[in-house]
Amino acid sequence: MSDSPKSSNKLWKSIKGYNDDPEVLNAKTNEFMEGVTDEFDSSKLSGISRRKFLAILSASAALTATACTDYRDKGEIIPYNKRPEDVMPGIANYYASTCNGCSQSCGILVKTREGRPIKIDGNPDHPINAGKICAKGQASILNLYDPERLTDPFELRKKTVWKSVDADVISALNDAQSSGKEISIVTGLITSPTTKKVLNDFVAKYPNTKIYSYSLTNDQQRRNAWMDSYGTDEYPAIKWKDADVILAIDADFLGNEGSSIENMREHTKRRETNGKTNFNRLYVAEGRMSVTGMLSDYRLRVSPDSQYEFVMALINELNNRGSAIALDANSKLKFEKYSLSKFESLVGKDKLNHLVNDLNANRGKSIVYAGDTLPKEVHVAVNLLNEVLGNTSLYDYSNSFKSLVKYSSAAEISQLVDSMKNGKVGVVIHFDSNPVFTLPEDFGYASALKKVKLVASLTEAENESSAAGNYSLPINDQLESWGDAYVRGGVYSLQQPVISPIFNTRQKEAVLLTWIAGGSSAFNEDIYHNYLMNSFNADVYSKANSFADAKTFWYSALNDGVVKVTEKVQPVKFNFASFNGLNDLTPSKDFVIHLHDNYFIGDGKYANNGWLQEIPHPVSKITWDNYAAVSPSTAKSLKVDSNDLLQVKVGNRSLTLPAFIQPGLADNFISIELGYGRTVIGEVGKEVGFNSISLMSKDAQPSPYIFSNASVTKAGGSHELVSTQEQHSLDDTFVKDFHRIRRIIQEGTVLKYIKEPNFLHEEKEKLFSITNEVQYTGNKWAMAIDLNKCTNCQVCVASCNVENNIAVVGKEQVSKGRVMQWIRLDRYYSGTPDEPIASNQPMLCQQCDNAPCENVCPVNATNHSPDGLNQMVYNRCVGTRYCSNNCPYKVRRFNFFNYRDSFADSYYENNLTSLVNNPEVTVRSRGVMEKCTFCIQRIMEARSNAIRDNKPLKGSDIVTACQQACPTNAITFGDANDPTSPVAKLRDHNLSYHVLEELNVKPNVTYIAKLRNTHSEEIL
Amino acid sequence: MSTVDLTQELSVIEGKPPLRELDDLISKPIDAKASKKFYIALTISGSMLSLLVIGLGLTFYYGIGMWGNNIPVGWAFDITNFVFWVGIGHAGTLISAILFLLRQKWRTGIARFAEGMTIFAVMTAGLFPLIHVGRPWLAAYLFPYPNQHSIWVNFDSPLLWDVFAVSTYFIVSLVFWYVGLIPDFATLRERTTHKIKKIIYSIFGMGWRFSNKHWQHYEMVYLILAGFATPLVLSVHTIVSFDFAVSILPGWHATIFPPYFVAGAVFSGFAMVQNVLIIVRKVFNYEHIITLDTLEKMNKIMLLTGSMVGYAYAMEFFIAWYSGLPIERFTFINRAFGPYAWAYWIMISCNVISPQLFWSRKIRRTIPVMFVIAIFVNIGMWFERFVIIVSSLSRDFLPSSWHLFVPTYTDFMILIGSFGFFFTWLLLFAKALPVVSMAEVKATVTGSQPSHGGH
Repeated sequence: MSDSPKSSNKLWKSIKGYNDDPEVLNAKTNEFMEGVTDEFDSSKLSGISRRKFLAILSASAALTATACTDYRDKGEIIPYNKRPEDVMPGIANYYASTCNGCSQSCGILVKTREGRPIKIDGNPDHPINAGKICAKGQASILNLYDPERLTDPFELRKKTVWKSVDADVISALNDAQSSGKEISIVTGLITSPTTKKVLNDFVAKYPNTKIYSYSLTNDQQRRNAWMDSYGTDEYPAIKWKDADVILAIDADFLGNEGSSIENMREHTKRRETNGKTNFNRLYVAEGRMSVTGMLSDYRLRVSPDSQYEFVMALINELNNRGSAIALDANSKLKFEKYSLSKFESLVGKDKLNHLVNDLNANRGKSIVYAGDTLPKEVHVAVNLLNEVLGNTSLYDYSNSFKSLVKYSSAAEISQLVDSMKNGKVGVVIHFDSNPVFTLPEDFGYASALKKVKLVASLTEAENESSAAGNYSLPINDQLESWGDAYVRGGVYSLQQPVISPIFNTRQKEAVLLTWIAGGSSAFNEDIYHNYLMNSFNADVYSKANSFADAKTFWYSALNDGVVKVTEKVQPVKFNFASFNGLNDLTPSKDFVIHLHDNYFIGDGKYANNGWLQEIPHPVSKITWDNYAAVSPSTAKSLKVDSNDLLQVKVGNRSLTLPAFIQPGLADNFISIELGYGRTVIGEVGKEVGFNSISLMSKDAQPSPYIFSNASVTKAGGSHELVSTQEQHSLDDTFVKDFHRIRRIIQEGTVLKYIKEPNFLHEEKEKLFSITNEVQYTGNKWAMAIDLNKCTNCQVCVASCNVENNIAVVGKEQVSKGRVMQWIRLDRYYSGTPDEPIASNQPMLCQQCDNAPCENVCPVNATNHSPDGLNQMVYNRCVGTRYCSNNCPYKVRRFNFFNYRDSFADSYYENNLTSLVNNPEVTVRSRGVMEKCTFCIQRIMEARSNAIRDNKPLKGSDIVTACQQACPTNAITFGDANDPTSPVAKLRDHNLSYHVLEELNVKPNVTYIAKLRNTHSEEIL
Repeated sequence: MSTVDLTQELSVIEGKPPLRELDDLISKPIDAKASKKFYIALTISGSMLSLLVIGLGLTFYYGIGMWGNNIPVGWAFDITNFVFWVGIGHAGTLISAILFLLRQKWRTGIARFAEGMTIFAVMTAGLFPLIHVGRPWLAAYLFPYPNQHSIWVNFDSPLLWDVFAVSTYFIVSLVFWYVGLIPDFATLRERTTHKIKKIIYSIFGMGWRFSNKHWQHYEMVYLILAGFATPLVLSVHTIVSFDFAVSILPGWHATIFPPYFVAGAVFSGFAMVQNVLIIVRKVFNYEHIITLDTLEKMNKIMLLTGSMVGYAYAMEFFIAWYSGLPIERFTFINRAFGPYAWAYWIMISCNVISPQLFWSRKIRRTIPVMFVIAIFVNIGMWFERFVIIVSSLSRDFLPSSWHLFVPTYTDFMILIGSFGFFFTWLLLFAKALPVVSMAEVKATVTGSQPSHGGH
């Protein structure tokens, strides 16, 4: 201290210190400030010696330790002292893989924690689904942890071992082979080229084998039409984003048809409101009310049996105004008898004129797209219409839809059934398929199956088909499996296991390989892994022209989950014969029944997944059921109300199910979703919904999904349909248009917006506060939701469920209004019951600055964080529910029961299912309020990373679960205080608004008002 | 018909019974062995109470899900019952404190009983804030106690104000009641020959010797406590109304709530007291102590407060219209014509229409009719709280979150059980303590006070 600070380079702490202030020097020399040590008196210190102190300390430590022995968590705790390679406790690992959920085989990215998969998202490197997957894919993680999966091989419902199964099956296969009997493999759609190879090997080993492929909902009609029109069944993708006008004909391409994730993304690229409003215009002609119909700018009520006439009339009308393709006289004869005038009264003259004029004005930049359930005839006509309009430039052949194994025709399946009946089939293998449930009953498949000596079902859980056979063989979940997929031109995706099989299950291909090898000893865990690698090297590596060696290429492909190769595109030409030879379809005078795919449970495959059953239907908001949707006026003429049972009869087939009055439906028309009504299934899916497959027939023509000769009568009795939103009749003036009156939904049209960009804010009053507002410095979290982009797909709901450990409550609790989902999609109708205009709005905790929930909580369990979050402290919450009462958005969710153990006899309380929980999110118990946290666990993770890297925390570091999952990127999250952040810009967008702004609760979720691209400045 | 001398104060009790006779009469239920009727009554109330026990058992074991509550209707029967019972608890202190300060001598016959009812009603009411929470085992979090987490309660929350208001009211009412009982305990002590009873009465009598000094102190303490309790009568229900008025929910968010709630509470409290007293005076032969005049006066108060409540209902509608807020307007139209319209019209006919019959002197003085009207008032006041709570919550801001409330068996068990709880206490009280203040009644007998009359 002796040398002067001035003379040296010593660091100084303050100006005073720099100037040699005596006070500072004094303070430096004296350790304690004046007076601090005055009262120190060693005699007053405790007399306990150091030894004694340590003795007491150790005794109390021992006491504490013994007291802890009765700690309520009695689960085994295994020290992580042998850390597996690449696993860091608390840090997630991500693996690229492929989803097996449907025919699209999306690339997925699986998040695992300590070796346990906890979340599935889209693989961002995948060229088709580009980082997004559907709700089914999101929630399918629960299937891995389904306690009702098959744990072991079963022979006649008795547990057995693989060795004896293998021996039995192989001898049966050899018997069948030697006695000349057929071996039938019934499979769903095959999307994997390597699986196809395994099947081929199987056929080579057992030449009596026949492969049958069937799936309940499929694109067979489209493929057949494409085959006829263009000579190939590999139809192209559509360049949606280049289409200025889209006419969807009973096609739910933004809902559940085809590559919907890709469709949504590409479609909403033309719904951007930043800069120029280069919107496309979406026309939907449909009988049912689909998600795409809800999103349409113009919706034309055309029932599916009239679609053929409608398309023909359009061809006629538009051809009169010119054609991009030279038409022959026969074709002209074919369509010239159809006229649009018939549809004028049905859908309205104005709408029809707009449609025709728009299609005419946008030749080459529009697209007409028919739905999968429509008959081949309509598809062929649509193909011609697109040719006439010159829209073929919007066909993208580089990513066309591949077909590995063709679907079996009804005739082939009938033949199989006949052979089975006649005892000509020795072995039936259900290769991860459920034909007893999914095949129309009149095939007689189930009864014929009894005649087969050995029926082996390779399945994840017991189902209708395995129950009808003698061997139920457990297979790996998709997250335990190896595999690949080739469904789109130029895209190979790979599937890798992210967890070793939980149960005594085997990869389904490995089972076949073992049987091909002819002995149980041939099986090992890597049998299919090696097969796949070899096959990949042979097929993909050779195509990829990679500089890397095969092994490196394999590992990098595995890392990426996807390999892109360039494939040659064959030019195609429209074959007029396909059009000229069409059978003319005439509209029905009876009731029309339209069966179509559901949104969340596939062909019944996901029926045991509580998360998916509980996601509300995107249109009707009904959970845990399917129903017969009828239009309001048809309901009136049938004298039924929602929930009343209807008997639907088609030929000699009938089904009794509840009616639901759906605004906007075509009249004398009923739409029913397929896939419900599973009977042999776990607790969750049992007796959920009604099996509408029973209306299907093996010889349904022209489309297996549309019946025009149906009769519908009131059956008497009722069945309660439960929905997450009250159903109000659109006639009910008492509650009509509240979403507009209360400015919950604010909308405009493109024309209006171009004319007056600030139309939304013109009459806005400035709100003032009577108290001093809290100032947020630093980060302030906020969200913006672009309603132009929201397609109501519910993927955010599914993703949030998985991320935040949301409980499933079951149908009965949903009916009581106790659904637990943190984010919901509100649906409002305006307009008339026949021509409703639907508006959707994701609703979640608005994280209000002046949160009304906070000041009413008596125990301070909900309070505000400095970064603007409305926090919920579960441990402090006593559950007065006052916060929820005072929440104007009603986004808080209360645990009325301990939903982990109350639902279906403690269904979710078992060691397996609890593994699905995200370890970063508290599992809430009974009596506690909960709500959206803006994924606080992700914010905290980003924050700790920022602290570690010594960087400021930025909004772009955080992606909430809903945002990450949103297929159209409608959700933006970030720092409102960072003026450069996207969310801050959206908050200042001239279409931005807050819901219930006048309450001055200052919500932090900004909505971007939806613009409708109509020919008017008014919405209605 | 005899002419009434309006210059003379009306006699509080009828006739001029000897003071000793009054003592005997009032302590008769305590001295005598309980009758069969008493046991029947106790069995009924005990059975009702057991429903409460079962209902609470189910609720504690399974959770609030046993009730019909949902999101958005977070409160339903639970808080309806709470407000109802707090309201019932208003008559007692009003009668004993405010009417005491206003020198309303006619209160003496009914004050003790009404105070007892206050205490039991507040006890019943106090159950609900504790049991309505999702995790009742943590209800202690509602009290500000020092803890190692350094978490304090939220003094911004009206629910916390409730905790203080109700517990203060309960304590003050209990003390007030007990102080009033001290001279009677002494009387009982003197009368009884039973050894154990004598010890008990001696302890509670606190050495009362009827000395002049004692009476002086007693009167002063009673006056101070009356002064202390008076603002509480107004504050408790004011604060209970804040539970609603401070929120932002349409139908709750109203400045009229404090006076409206206090009037409603007095209204229902008097109705309940009148109901019970009609039975008590009949059973115990207190017709000359709890006179028809007294009942008539109570009916007049019901007429007044009932009209105030009716005015408040009308004013709510007017303000909803006058505010110009569409959401506010809808809430009230929905109340009268929405899915809970039936509850609303029960409320209107019971609370607004039926007490108007008390304009007729004949009805005011006809016991069966006034009994029925008071029952209607109680039903109506329960529905008033139900309407305010449930109809407002079930249809609030966003139509997407609307949902109706349907009560469950457990809800009804707890509702019926709360009456069982209340009446069981009341029956035990009637058997164990003098239901009429002997000291006060004796003081009002004509000629009992030193006066210059007749000289």
